[in-house]
Amino acid sequence: MEELIISIDNLKEIARELFNNDCRVIGTTAENKFKVIDDPEQLILNPNSVPTGSSFKEFFFPKTEPLFFYKQNNSSIDLIDPVIDKSRIVVIGAKPCDAAALPIISKVFNWDYKDDLFNTRNDNSLIIGMSCHYNDEFCFCNDVGGSPENRKGSDVFLKPLADNYFKAASVTPKGEAFIKEYQKYFEKDLGKNKPLVRKEENPNHFDYDKVKTWLDNNFENKFWDTAGEMCLGCAQCAFVCPTCHCFDIVDEQNGSCAGRRAKNWDACQFSLFTKHASGHNPRDNQEKRYRQRISHKFKYYNDKFDEILCTGCGRCSRGCPVSLDILQIVEEINSLSQKSNAI
Amino acid sequence: MDNIYKPELVEIKEIIDETPDIKTFRLQFKNPELQNSFKFKAGQFAEYSVFGEGECTFCIASSPTRPEYLECSFKLAGKTTSAMTKLNVGDTMGLRGPYGNSFPLEQMKGKNIVFIAGGIGLAPVRCIIWNVLDLRDQFKDITIICGARTVADLVYKNEIEDWKSMSGIKTVVSVDPGGETTDWKGEIGFVPTIVEKVSPSANNTIAILCGPPLMIRYTFPILEKFGFKEENIITTLENRMKCGLGKCGRCNIGSVYVCKDGPIFSYKELKTLPQEY
Amino acid sequence: MNELKQICKDALSEKKARFIIGYKEDKNKRIKPFIAKTPEDAEQLTFNHHAVNNLAVYLPRFKNNVEGKIGIVVKSCDLKAVTALIQENQIKRDDLFIIGVNCSGVVLDIAKEFNKDNTQIKCKYCQAKTPPYYDALADESKDFEMPDDDQAELMAKIDKMTSDERLEFWNAEFEKCIKCYACRQVCPMCYCEKCIVEKSEPQWIDTSSTARGNFSWNIIRAFHMAGRCIGCHECERACPMGIPLTLLTRKMGMVASSEFGYRHGMSLTEPTLIGTYSTSDKEDFIK
Repeated sequence: MEELIISIDNLKEIARELFNNDCRVIGTTAENKFKVIDDPEQLILNPNSVPTGSSFKEFFFPKTEPLFFYKQNNSSIDLIDPVIDKSRIVVIGAKPCDAAALPIISKVFNWDYKDDLFNTRNDNSLIIGMSCHYNDEFCFCNDVGGSPENRKGSDVFLKPLADNYFKAASVTPKGEAFIKEYQKYFEKDLGKNKPLVRKEENPNHFDYDKVKTWLDNNFENKFWDTAGEMCLGCAQCAFVCPTCHCFDIVDEQNGSCAGRRAKNWDACQFSLFTKHASGHNPRDNQEKRYRQRISHKFKYYNDKFDEILCTGCGRCSRGCPVSLDILQIVEEINSLSQKSNAI
Repeated sequence: MDNIYKPELVEIKEIIDETPDIKTFRLQFKNPELQNSFKFKAGQFAEYSVFGEGECTFCIASSPTRPEYLECSFKLAGKTTSAMTKLNVGDTMGLRGPYGNSFPLEQMKGKNIVFIAGGIGLAPVRCIIWNVLDLRDQFKDITIICGARTVADLVYKNEIEDWKSMSGIKTVVSVDPGGETTDWKGEIGFVPTIVEKVSPSANNTIAILCGPPLMIRYTFPILEKFGFKEENIITTLENRMKCGLGKCGRCNIGSVYVCKDGPIFSYKELKTLPQEY
Repeated sequence: MNELKQICKDALSEKKARFIIGYKEDKNKRIKPFIAKTPEDAEQLTFNHHAVNNLAVYLPRFKNNVEGKIGIVVKSCDLKAVTALIQENQIKRDDLFIIGVNCSGVVLDIAKEFNKDNTQIKCKYCQAKTPPYYDALADESKDFEMPDDDQAELMAKIDKMTSDERLEFWNAEFEKCIKCYACRQVCPMCYCEKCIVEKSEPQWIDTSSTARGNFSWNIIRAFHMAGRCIGCHECERACPMGIPLTLLTRKMGMVASSEFGYRHGMSLTEPTLIGTYSTSDKEDFIK
């Protein structure tokens, strides 16, 4: 297939056309936040930007969404399905650490029963990923199977070139169809625009296999007594995370005989998460809850779904109110595993 | 869209006050076709709704051999169960299910069965007891050991009397020390102590137990002492659940979803799991 | 710096404190909360402009402390939280070994250097760089000229709004809320064992992150802070969505001060505002 490039202006034109066709165009703007773009001029694709404060998972798995509505009339009750927005969702300029999260969480929403709330949005989506040229002390995509060039989860992948151009390639049939649909905006790559190069390679921090082996054997370990000791038990980490997917189900009355049942984000760091009605709580302190967070990400999810439940975006660490750093925690596990090997 | 979170409607046909804080609801689907097509296995659970209040997870307490209705027994504990206690016969509820795995009925056939239950833990055990009793000739000796904190806290009192009167079943009922009344004729002691006293033979026997976490923890070693193999001790876990569908992440123990891979586990399987139940 | 380390080391080796809640620098040079349990651990303790956390948030964990004193490193703003917790019977003064630090301001953005554009709002109107009381004092301050209190201007602007405009302003802010409860968890005064949002019988606040749920959560939390907020601004710092929560709590504090002459966390002996009846109250319903 011939190599294609596209200018930022033409990407904006695509965004405009999509917007005019009732698509939900998701991208980042000057405030470096994913949002529904209503003015394509606001769209910014900056490979050097830090990952946004929150991931774009909320457009696929909203912080709150109705499961159904109920209406009570005398003795009968009507249950009404929610109207799901079936419009196409196009994410423009997803970092590899964001794009990779969708196929990861898609597994839990589909391994047995199918969650059509998530699936409808996911099936109607198109992800345009972009190489990442950012790296800070919290980034570790390459330690968890990703990389700044990783195309997992992207349908179309962009690589930044000089003069506000991007090299464009389809990754999936969906992406190929998309490029075809909007081919008038793409140009043949004549090699005029030099690729922008990353300043330096991302360092490697830990050996995932060693970490996994250590976690396999150390559910009980004094390391856990201090790992989560300073954690305050908020859910900042889980809610900004592109892969955290736990939720709560609640009923909400609206008037005396109608209301809705909703699915809301929830997090394993909350003390009530696992508490039984009897008062018994299997994870009755923050140390245990922190062990769950780390183990779910780096062991349990992998055991069950063959995926690491972390893309190394570093959001949880950048935003933690007590500066708990997931990378440093995993690095410590890595060094513990080396020590236990030495013995 | 296939909405896995939307329940079916059921009507409360009968309410039985088991104890001061435990009730049994007899339920029937509003849609008669569903009542006929709804199939479940002993040990499976469902999500029961009171609209506007929430959903609650309980095992199906009636036996699949009696498909004309479904029963659930629940203890007043939180928001939804508190709303349930205010419902009356004829009221409508929601029900999703059946979910989870079931008791290993095929593996139990041709064997002696010891049922051990504490408190409301008798609900799932009662389901499999009736299932076994309705297929009585496929099983050997049956022992039922059930206990409660006090005489007033004993559930399914009439059925316990039925079991006592049946031949070929040994039924032992106990209450915790201090929980007896002056006319109490049963045993007095905690369930593990009673199991020790009954000393069931492990030979060709499967033990099914359900009850509070402490009761389970102290009963395991006693059964092991009597020679029960880990794989022949079967219990059911009650981790907090919301979706019942292997999605919401609440009931996880390690990589296991109790709602999908459980709630029935052998002691052998439990030993491979982190102690988070 | 050595002064703080030495004080803490001595306190631990002389058993003046069982452990010390302080700050350490991690390998990425981030300052984070840390509990030093041995004199060797104390080597890691540090303090600088990046020591933003109000460590008093950890104290209610040790409410039933029986085994000796809890050491805690505090800035003067943090000490107000300690005082308030003592006033509200959450911890006893005698159970604490307070290591005060002279502070000349902390950063707003912990990823950036301390300068006049990167200074917490609370520092801009802080009136005491030395904690009013302590068991030991370390001087870690440097001279620094504080920039102007720009939040005060914004507050004046909000005060001038009509109630509809104010509602619109706050609705737009609360819409961002994701109900992660970081504001509650970092707040030293949010120590309830069961928060009102977790009470389900009746369900006072919708747990969903809808307009209604977000508004009721944030407003009720603000009301629970009325006359109780000590102004550490940790809620706003922790909020991942950037909601200017201290506009509410600071305003509440200003009202408590102007209407009742009360500031929380300023005196170990003064009864709390909310816990006191006064016949001199302006409102006549009390008489």
